[in-house]
Amino acid sequence: MDSDKINLELGCTTCTTQTTYSVPIGPVHPALKEPIQFTFRLSGERIVGVDIKPGYAHRGIEYMGMKRNLIQVLYLAERICGICSISHPLALTQAVENAAGIEVPPRAQYIRTIIGELERIHSHLLWAGVAAHELGFDTLLHLVWKVREKVMDLLEQLTGNRVDYAIPIYGGVRRDIPDEKAGLAYEALSYYKNLLQDMINAFLHDKSVAMRTSNVGVLTYDDAVALCAVGPTARASGVKKDVRQDMPYLAYADMDIRAITPEDYGKPVVGDVFDNIVVRLLEVDQSIKIIEYCLEHMPGGELTSIPKVAALLAVLKKADGEGIGRHEAPRGEVFHYIRLEAGVEAPVAWKVKAPTYSNLMSWVPKFMGDEIADIPIIAASIDPCMCCLDRATLVDQGGGEAVKLKEELVKLSREKTRRMCG
Amino acid sequence: MTPDEILTAFKEKFGAVITDSHVVERTVGTTAPRPVYDVWIEIPRAQLPAAVTYLCDRFSPHLSVISGDDLGDMVAFNYHFAVGWGERYGEITFTIRTRVPKDDFHLPTITGLLPGALTSEREKQEFYGITIDGIPDGRNLFLPEDMTIHPWRKDLEEETQKSVKRIVKWEERDG
Repeated sequence: MDSDKINLELGCTTCTTQTTYSVPIGPVHPALKEPIQFTFRLSGERIVGVDIKPGYAHRGIEYMGMKRNLIQVLYLAERICGICSISHPLALTQAVENAAGIEVPPRAQYIRTIIGELERIHSHLLWAGVAAHELGFDTLLHLVWKVREKVMDLLEQLTGNRVDYAIPIYGGVRRDIPDEKAGLAYEALSYYKNLLQDMINAFLHDKSVAMRTSNVGVLTYDDAVALCAVGPTARASGVKKDVRQDMPYLAYADMDIRAITPEDYGKPVVGDVFDNIVVRLLEVDQSIKIIEYCLEHMPGGELTSIPKVAALLAVLKKADGEGIGRHEAPRGEVFHYIRLEAGVEAPVAWKVKAPTYSNLMSWVPKFMGDEIADIPIIAASIDPCMCCLDRATLVDQGGGEAVKLKEELVKLSREKTRRMCG
Repeated sequence: MTPDEILTAFKEKFGAVITDSHVVERTVGTTAPRPVYDVWIEIPRAQLPAAVTYLCDRFSPHLSVISGDDLGDMVAFNYHFAVGWGERYGEITFTIRTRVPKDDFHLPTITGLLPGALTSEREKQEFYGITIDGIPDGRNLFLPEDMTIHPWRKDLEEETQKSVKRIVKWEERDG
């Protein structure tokens, strides 16, 4: 791979010439999930540099986790992300089970997989709605988010919660999916199967969506590999990377799962925002099929190999070793490394890696060369778990300054849509 | 790709420099169980760029993350790679571990070989206080620019505790 192609000199907080100026965006906006600051360097309307500063929502979770017992760590892991609220527990439990040599009964593996895939459906639909909104297509936002409610209801019916499902425990799961609840799941899957083609038509056969997203926010295959991008962000660039395929685990090991790229939709790979939409919509269909398989082939048997929490804590306290846990979350690979020492309740080392951590640097080539009005949709294209298009302060060489609110940026984006639609 | 292939390739290339190596086999699948593998090797830090160069030239690796493990007078850094991605059951996790003494706390950058390592290297600098030699952008990433404490260093715990605001008074353990 040719590292020279990647611009690592991200710092561009000061203006250097009369023809460029900087636009800080963020870090705080209440309408967005998490804060982050972008500082764009612009030449006219074109983005010629970007500096990204995350960390405004850093809560020191690994630091806290290394002072708590593993059951408490599981609660913390579930709260790393409100949307991926089963993805982190799935990776953590696998890391601990690998380190401590704990087996997981087959039924528990299937239940974990079902909840993980339901999370993917709701996360991708959430993203699709946000993408539609950023383009100024609010009717589509409302349609998609109305449709998303069905999976949120199902998650509540299966687990008791819309988020933070509290399903995985080391050695198994905390709740069963009995037959009567499986019926609810089949009903929801049928609902989505009937609607999916309509959603694909609404997004992929719409002229204004195509014009605003085609050749915008492009990430090439080589850049995606060199920057270690993951999830739909990488797959939209043709990188066939998916932990469920590459190194199967849970029920994924029993199924023939393939990484989805734009080629599966019969189009060449461009790596733009449009391809990101393609991949995510097709993955909703893939998730439906995975859940159907799990429901039809659900094994019987125990829910956990160590049902009593006190016995589980005793086993964990004796454990000595290290383990890796990985899960293909909706946004990409979640990775947990843990090291346990016998006689110590807390993990002596714990590292969490979320997908946005891997995709952070993908923003740099994606933004380069595009326009200010494209910032909202490109920022959203990696489905960041933190972002803030709160306000922009335009600073010119003469010292002049103007504050741009997020609403103004969205307005610019919408005006561009109207302009392009004639 | 098999774990033996990659391990043999590294042993042939680096020989006695590899201070530790082992393969962990795990079984996955409920209907037709199959093995998956985690490969671990340990090398001195001076060999790290050469090892990553060899890995990039031969195996097109994905870097998941660099994790750290404070062992007292030294910190072990684990470079968690995955090789063989793109094929069903094709992937193996390949972790390169190197131990760095705290009294000579330096590591060479690998961003020239794998630009995506920058986020992880910047994070290790700020959270462990290590110097990554040759890093193209050494500013704090997640911590504020003016923050000089290194929260994941266990020997600097007292300093870290002083900077933490206790929100919940009855919880004495969170610092």
